[in-house]
Amino acid sequence: MKKSEGGQGHSRLTLRLWDFTGTALLNLFMVLFLVVYLSPLPFMVIASLTPRNQFLDGNAPILPSERVKFNYEGKALIVYEVPTEDGIKHWALYKPSRKSSEFIDPDNPQAGPILWQGAWRTLKADYRFKPTLDNFKDFLGVARMSLYFKNTIIVALISEIGVLFSSIAVAYGFSRFRIPGINYIFFLLIATIMIPSNITLVPTYYLYSGHMLNWIGTWLPLIVPHFFGSAILIFLLRQNFKSIPRDLDEAAMLDGAGPLRILISVILPQSIPVVTTVALLHFFYIWNETRMSSLYLGIAPHLQLVSFAVQRNQTYFFTPEALMVGALMVMVIPVIVLFLSQRFFMQDMIVTQIEK
Amino acid sequence: MDVLKERRDLLRNRLTKPTRLQQEARIGLLFLSPWLVGFVLLKALPILAALVFSLTDFHMLAPNETRFVGLENYIRFFSDLEARASLFGSLRYFLWTVPLEMVVALALAAIFTSDRLKNKRMSQTLIFMTSIIPATSIFFIFLGSLAYANRLIFAPLNLPPIEENNLLLVLMALWSIGPGFLIMYSAMKSIPNEMYEAARVDGAGPFARFMYIRLPLISPAIFFTLVINLTGAFGGAVLLDRGYILNFSLSPMESYINNMMFLETDLGYASALAWVTFGVMMTLTIFLFWSAKRWVYFPEEHKDEEI
Repeated sequence: MKKSEGGQGHSRLTLRLWDFTGTALLNLFMVLFLVVYLSPLPFMVIASLTPRNQFLDGNAPILPSERVKFNYEGKALIVYEVPTEDGIKHWALYKPSRKSSEFIDPDNPQAGPILWQGAWRTLKADYRFKPTLDNFKDFLGVARMSLYFKNTIIVALISEIGVLFSSIAVAYGFSRFRIPGINYIFFLLIATIMIPSNITLVPTYYLYSGHMLNWIGTWLPLIVPHFFGSAILIFLLRQNFKSIPRDLDEAAMLDGAGPLRILISVILPQSIPVVTTVALLHFFYIWNETRMSSLYLGIAPHLQLVSFAVQRNQTYFFTPEALMVGALMVMVIPVIVLFLSQRFFMQDMIVTQIEK
Repeated sequence: MDVLKERRDLLRNRLTKPTRLQQEARIGLLFLSPWLVGFVLLKALPILAALVFSLTDFHMLAPNETRFVGLENYIRFFSDLEARASLFGSLRYFLWTVPLEMVVALALAAIFTSDRLKNKRMSQTLIFMTSIIPATSIFFIFLGSLAYANRLIFAPLNLPPIEENNLLLVLMALWSIGPGFLIMYSAMKSIPNEMYEAARVDGAGPFARFMYIRLPLISPAIFFTLVINLTGAFGGAVLLDRGYILNFSLSPMESYINNMMFLETDLGYASALAWVTFGVMMTLTIFLFWSAKRWVYFPEEHKDEEI
């Protein structure tokens, strides 16, 4: 009997060992996945801190660095790795010439110039790790970032009010009222999500142009359409409103509450996560906006929104460090907002019964 | 006579005083009105207007000289090699990226349901984070990282440097799985545990439980993700719109139409092209919805709930 107990203990130990290995492997896999998945982002930070001339040197290290220099007779000389008979020496280039050059040994400058036979251009320069903020200074000197941020935030806030008001009202209408043919109207709503934006582009552009409304060069084409609600946000809100039990509505109705009262004091307090999600989705939408701002704000640079403005700025300087600085500046605010709101954002997005 | 009078009164009441149901419908329609007005003004009328434009030689610069040209623009599409190539480019993009996005998002969602995974919220946010990065940033990141990738990975392995567009394609697709991943993950979380227990008792292994219980139950979420990915591939309103980069849209057809509009200012032809895209898109959508009946599980709803 004792033996079988021992056997059981053994199997329990194996089971626990298996369990532990499984957990470790799973977590290791997730960490590895995230490292690979996010790997371009560290490059973005590295490149944005790298001095421009480092990209011109094929032998330069990956990390942001500066060349090692040696002060000799009031001149900053660049230190190179020089192969000699006694091994590799770190010498500063004093008098470059095509076939042979003169070097100074930084450890022993009194010895004077040393003549070295060979082409100095083939030598590798010495580098020392040193990140620089010059790229950011250059970028901020050219791009009027505070203006673009301000414009984007104004447009986002005004259209946010409109899109939230309308989408919540419409989603409430879809989730709580018996209207003949409502299923067909809802199907129409789903269908509009899938309409490619360029089918409506020509007529709406004509509508906003000088021929009709004359809204080009203003924020109106970017703001006003949101006051009619957004189909995909209505859909998300409606799914959530439907999951709230109707008993509460009915109780409020017996107490004499009207439909608007029920929406404000029964439905909305229970929908804070989904309303937050929807509000954030709209904020990200405006932040990423380039279609409309390129079309309608192209002639008004002082009204331009951040994504398109930076895009336009940075495509003049197609150097890696300038691009990465631009990328960082555009994405930093949405990423901060996402991390601050991760408790609410997109948690429990249940989308079932889409056809109904 | 009494019966008749009663009937008449009833009818008069019904005509003058709205019943509860009618009143409810009216209030409901009032709530729907912002979207209904927007739908007519910003969707339905523009789509019809585009159809009318597509039958004319409407030019932005000379709107007064517009003539009706019939189907000429559509005939031009069939002989326009570049337009057809763009359309196939969009379709090819869809065929390459959407399955990739779906499989990766679904696999991640399945891994996330495991109780053994630590720091779920952090990983979830990190996976989602890439989906909110604007197209501008992604394009710059990709251009800047290409040199690093070639130098650190491809040169040491003696591989040829990667081609620009393919990498961008994969990067953009994988970096937009966030919404789909979260939607499918939430759907998986909402499956009651008893279902798995019952299956386990019946002797179903982990694979069988995944294939026959989890997948069918989250099929509505899979379907929704598929629809938004399809929409994204054709430049529709997706859950997280990235915007696009100058003339470099990920949907080649979209960029071609924009070129027609703003470089050639040929609005008639641009409208015809947009209608062709619209037609292709609608065909695909109808096919998807038709196929949904075969593989998407819709829970039964009660009649009175189905408002």
